[in-house]
Amino acid sequence: MDFPNIFKGDYRLLCIPPLLLILISFYFIPHIQMGVDFQGGTLVTLTLKGAVDAPQLKSELASEGLQADVDVVQTTSGYQAEIEVPQSPKLVEADQLKSDFNALVPDVSFLEVESLQNSSNTTQYLAEDAKLQNISDQMFAIAGMSRSDFNITGTIDEQKAFTTAYNKVYSDYATSVSGPIDKYVQYSSMSIQTVSPTLSTEFIGQAISVVIASALLSIVFVFVFFRDPFPAAAVLCGAFSDVTIAMGAMGLFGIQFTLPSFAALLMLIGFSLDTDVLLTMRILKRKGDPREKAYGAMKTGLTMSLTAIVAFITLFVLAILTNIPTYYEISAVALAGLVGDMFATWGIDAVLLLWHVEKLNAAEKEVV
Amino acid sequence: MDLLNDKKLLAMAVIFILLLASILVYAPYAGLLLILALFIFGGFCLFWKEPHIKLAGLGFLLILAIANIGINGMKYGIDFEGGTRIPVLLEKSVDSTTMNDLVQTIKTRVSVLGLTEANVYAVGDSQVYVEIPSSDPNTIQFVENTLSHQGVYWGVVDGHVAITGDDIYSTSINPLPAQELSQEGADWGVSFSVNRHGAEQFAAVANGKADYPVYMYLDRPSDAALFLSKAELEQNMPDDSSEKEVLTALSDGLSLDQGRNITLYVIDSLNGTVPSPKDNGTIALISGNASAQLISELNASGFTVKEFSETDITPTYNRTRAGVLTVETLTAVGLLSAPLLSEGLATGVPNYDFSVSGAVAAGPDHNTIVTQNIKQIESILTGGSLPVSISLGSRTTLPASLGQEFLQLSLIAIVISLLAISVLIGFRYRNIRATLPIVAISISELIILLSILGSFTIDLAAMAGIIAAIGVGVDAQIVITDELLKEDGEETDEKMAHAFDIIKTNVIVATLAMIPLLFSGLVEVIGFAISTILGSLLGYLLSRPAYASIVGMIIKKKEHGK
Repeated sequence: MDFPNIFKGDYRLLCIPPLLLILISFYFIPHIQMGVDFQGGTLVTLTLKGAVDAPQLKSELASEGLQADVDVVQTTSGYQAEIEVPQSPKLVEADQLKSDFNALVPDVSFLEVESLQNSSNTTQYLAEDAKLQNISDQMFAIAGMSRSDFNITGTIDEQKAFTTAYNKVYSDYATSVSGPIDKYVQYSSMSIQTVSPTLSTEFIGQAISVVIASALLSIVFVFVFFRDPFPAAAVLCGAFSDVTIAMGAMGLFGIQFTLPSFAALLMLIGFSLDTDVLLTMRILKRKGDPREKAYGAMKTGLTMSLTAIVAFITLFVLAILTNIPTYYEISAVALAGLVGDMFATWGIDAVLLLWHVEKLNAAEKEVV
Repeated sequence: MDLLNDKKLLAMAVIFILLLASILVYAPYAGLLLILALFIFGGFCLFWKEPHIKLAGLGFLLILAIANIGINGMKYGIDFEGGTRIPVLLEKSVDSTTMNDLVQTIKTRVSVLGLTEANVYAVGDSQVYVEIPSSDPNTIQFVENTLSHQGVYWGVVDGHVAITGDDIYSTSINPLPAQELSQEGADWGVSFSVNRHGAEQFAAVANGKADYPVYMYLDRPSDAALFLSKAELEQNMPDDSSEKEVLTALSDGLSLDQGRNITLYVIDSLNGTVPSPKDNGTIALISGNASAQLISELNASGFTVKEFSETDITPTYNRTRAGVLTVETLTAVGLLSAPLLSEGLATGVPNYDFSVSGAVAAGPDHNTIVTQNIKQIESILTGGSLPVSISLGSRTTLPASLGQEFLQLSLIAIVISLLAISVLIGFRYRNIRATLPIVAISISELIILLSILGSFTIDLAAMAGIIAAIGVGVDAQIVITDELLKEDGEETDEKMAHAFDIIKTNVIVATLAMIPLLFSGLVEVIGFAISTILGSLLGYLLSRPAYASIVGMIIKKKEHGK
């Protein structure tokens, strides 16, 4: 495996390809599709009894009022259909109403007891109870029910009726998804993953804190480790470019942003820092010609990247064969990131470091 | 080299035997024990520089891993095993303590059904997944019913229902504040409020019944007969009481109007005659230890027999302030507590605010018992042991055949990935003596990783992590090989030190980037985080030192050869 030393000559030109990639990525990043995990909604996976035409199924489902993305793939275990139903605004509203209702119930219960014991508290109770009733009336409306369907004589009944209505909103939603599917699709097994609005919001919150924690830990470590701002910044620059390129690829190739692809992106931070650290340590802490050392590091680094790429290609092929989304999302993001890392490390980080080291060397010579 | 005189190696061997024994004995903790072994042997490999120690460290861990797989087997998630996942949606978000309680309670509920393999875990702070390794519709239905069952609370005073859970404001059920506790001279207490119906009914039933017990029932069977042996009846009987007193206490506690009495039969006094059930729906509550003959006779005479553990069917007793013996708990009939009525509640005047309180003897467990009592009363009043109300989401069933196919394909992928990487390494170095150790060590790493993760649960994310670890795991060995093969006049030791600096930094970086994910609670991908982190640690602590010593030995031989 011998190839010419790309760092001989004007190595600064090497930063052009990665910079182009990053620019292209910035264009595609806004196009990343959010998966069920982060956007909420329902993902139905069916093992089909026979081939199904996806566009036809999509229009059949739409004729039943179910707007969904349909994807049919052939796997080792026969045909599989993935039907992705976006978050229903009704569920979002129902969840919001529920949290408002739960926030108000303790006060209203308390006031009801107070007014039972002392009628001078009744006005205040009625005022608060009206608010509560207003919330549950909205819930009844979403559920296609009305107050007269229940015999409500106090907060306890109100709570029960509210819960019944809320559960009906959810079961109606489930029926609206499974009904049309049962009508048009012959399947042997069905898997339904529903992510409620609350849960997806929570996932987003957790993902954001994980990213912040990961980034902070990595940044602090790199600065403490190198104790020299320039190489530390260069290393982080390489890692940042890598993740950017991986995310650009997600937008370009339609890889959804889900918990697995999120985990893969985090792994990329670590992996991309690996090659960057290797390069930096070789260039800064060894004697010899920096360009030769960069070249030597690149040989090692590319071998490392290649073995990882081989592993993830296997996973990617497995994902295609089995149509397991977790495998697909992890491997596709990792592959994009590993390829991106080659460009970012040897085109950006290496260029920055060489430029830095050669400037330092030149300065030393002048002093001498 | 005299192996027997090698104290370091002997020490490792002793630890190895201890760990092996622990893995055999404490199978449920095998995964944690293996991680412990990883750190112990890893520590030895870092501090003791002898090449054979480093090899032994990896060797011992590898044997432990293989032994664990052989003895305890591997656990797979439902994606590989087939089964059903039922999402349990909580009515509201809960904090982590409540969530842990909830998960434990659900686990207990499900395992009562004999489904010990059920996997229960929190997803975020408002959802719990219950996974059962079964796709049988009846089993699933049974689990769903058990999960969604909402208990009914009845407070019974002198054979009449004084209060039901339907009249209690659920949000008003709270622990008593410290100030009120000290006023009442109690150690723990729970307060709650009731609506008009509850207040009036309670006032009517409790009128003039001061010092009577309020029998707190959760899901009291309305048509049942209780069969107790004399031993069970008298096991918790106070020393100063008689059998007659105990019988009266029980019959008082079990009586209820509208023909809902639970009849008590003392098995020892049956004298071979088997009573007939009240009607064809009557349940016979009996200990699982009762004679099989009696149980079959009860069945034959028309009872539906329901068996209980000894603890659940053995009543406990208490004396009221006036000295009357009363039954305090009897889980088999749903009687969970029997606080006494205070005088203020027995006046016939409707009362809206109630509290249940009690004293706890001073002792080391004081605070724990206080918390337990509060929780118990709270959960009885809310009609169940779950701290929040729940609903069930749409279940997912994965057929076992499909799961097995996924597993097979994934294992094949591991093998292919190993082969492809070996070929790549062979091609890169064109040196069989450098390549073979890399491949051998990658295989050991893989086995150890599979064994550790298999002790917990291998799900899709963990499997993806394992396949990834094969590719990333060889990285450090590549760094070492490249350093050592470089001809820049440096000593082997110096080169090795360089390589280890780079590897150490890499491992720290890779671990730091993934650690937040490990603690995020995002269960879906935690397996991936664990396998990635373990892969790095394993490499840094064991397989890389071992590899370095092998390659070091080869190179030294070469130099001698020259």
